[in-house]
Amino acid sequence: MDYLLHILIVALIYGIFAISLNLELGYTGLYNFGHVAFFGIGAYTSALLGLSGLPVSLSMALGMAAAGVAGALLAIPALRLTGDFFGIATLVFAEMVRLFFVNERWLTKGPMGLPGIPRPSWIGEGIAGLPMFLIFCILLTVLVALTGRRLATSPFGRALKVVREDEYVAQTLGKNVLSLKIRAVILGSVLAGLAGCLWAHYISYISPSDFTLNETILVLLCVVLGGKGTNWGPVLGAFIIIFFQEALRFLPIPADFGRLVAPLQGMVYGFVLILIMLKRPEGIVSEYRGSRQC
Amino acid sequence: MTYYAQLVLNGVIAGSIYALFAVGLTMVYGVFRFINFAHGELIAWGAYLVLLLINPPFSVPLYLAVLPALLVTMAIGVGQDRYVYQPLIHGNRITLLIASIGVSYLLRNTIRLIWGSDLMTYGIRPVRGIQFAGLSITPTQILMIGAAVFFLGALYFLLTRTMLGKSLRAVADNMELAAVMGINMKKVSLTVWILASLFAGAGGFLLALDTNLEPVMGMTNMIKAFAAVLLGGAGNVWGALVGGLFIGIAENVGVAFFSPGYKDFISFALIFLLLILRPKGIFGVLTGVR
Repeated sequence: MDYLLHILIVALIYGIFAISLNLELGYTGLYNFGHVAFFGIGAYTSALLGLSGLPVSLSMALGMAAAGVAGALLAIPALRLTGDFFGIATLVFAEMVRLFFVNERWLTKGPMGLPGIPRPSWIGEGIAGLPMFLIFCILLTVLVALTGRRLATSPFGRALKVVREDEYVAQTLGKNVLSLKIRAVILGSVLAGLAGCLWAHYISYISPSDFTLNETILVLLCVVLGGKGTNWGPVLGAFIIIFFQEALRFLPIPADFGRLVAPLQGMVYGFVLILIMLKRPEGIVSEYRGSRQC
Repeated sequence: MTYYAQLVLNGVIAGSIYALFAVGLTMVYGVFRFINFAHGELIAWGAYLVLLLINPPFSVPLYLAVLPALLVTMAIGVGQDRYVYQPLIHGNRITLLIASIGVSYLLRNTIRLIWGSDLMTYGIRPVRGIQFAGLSITPTQILMIGAAVFFLGALYFLLTRTMLGKSLRAVADNMELAAVMGINMKKVSLTVWILASLFAGAGGFLLALDTNLEPVMGMTNMIKAFAAVLLGGAGNVWGALVGGLFIGIAENVGVAFFSPGYKDFISFALIFLLLILRPKGIFGVLTGVR
């Protein structure tokens, strides 16, 4: 039962993470392959502040703010690039952030990681706090998803979709494309930071190996599988991926072959990613509900 | 002084291998206009297939194992193209990029499944380096430079002296126009993939001969090759060659000034700065494509 709660919490955190990526990738058409950097910056900022004795809610807010600032710092130069080159720049940025976490031992304790990150005081530590943490996560996910929906139907959201479809049209309509994109990246980074904060305070231990290219691919898969540019697609994708990941643990695999599970998982992820691109690039939940027959 | 000269020499050795990787990556970019993320996995597969052949049950001598390993690497490269990239080639570039990330992940995890994640070597006893004017170089490293010179020389001959090379350059310049002129696109794309995987596999083998094998070797070297590609201007073959040498030297000389933990950081920072400041490369020959 507690195990189920754990899976649900992880899936919800990944759901928020996926929604934040979807804002950039789905709505604005910005292919950010370094989104895990903001997840990591949020997690580390919040964890360090929480460990230094700040109230958790305040340190989480600051973690989100730090992720947002980092997002702005990345977006302003990197958005001069388009398409795949923006993707590469963000991917490289994420690796640089990770190497920073590994090497700056005075701040992050390097590969040792940070143990004992506190939870919000009203939730309680250990297994006893699980139901409350789950409720906290559900509330936040619903809040984030509703914000996402509100955003998608707002003039801002529609402007983002125009930018995605054709930048020149957006410019002709008098939209400041660069400013729209920067705001989308900042918003996405703040929400990724929120997911990172939740992750750090939930798992209570983080290390640089939690924020690698693997996590980027995982969240990319959540968004692409669920359906990019939709409100609930990314959350659905996150639930499928996380439940699949956990279900593998229950397969009757002999103990000697335990080390084979992780590579097999990776192979399946890679294969699914290829298959979606080949067969159903719009994902499970289509943005156009089958109305676009041309 | 000799210390720095040695660092530069090490840089040239590493750089000649990076150049092999970068030339393949940039050729694929030049013709198909997408960055093949799975290029690194061809590097790793080239190295691991040799490992497979020299160990039981095959136990082939090392020099005989190289050729079949490279053939299989080529088959993987061509297979990628045929089953994943070709069906997507007329769609969105980003779809291709995500698909290639998927291919890369699939191939890398297959390596982890078969050989595990630990460091491995070919088990060749290290040989004492040859001393020359205070510098040291091992026979393996001479082989690395020699092979790089041989492969790149052969490529130069192919591109400038043969009909196939000419059509290859024409396709890189303008795919539609080349197709209209009756150039066999299938043949050209097959050639590009064969060359790219051959260079990647051979480079991977040589690198593993000098250092060791691990599943992430493809990814790290792919990123360095990518830095080299950008340095030379995406799609520019000779730019990639010089870029590869430059990355090798910058990385090895950089160790004298930064902590070794930041060795990879140098290529990353270089990629980031180049993308933002000089997206057409230092030798901006190729224009218009970003």
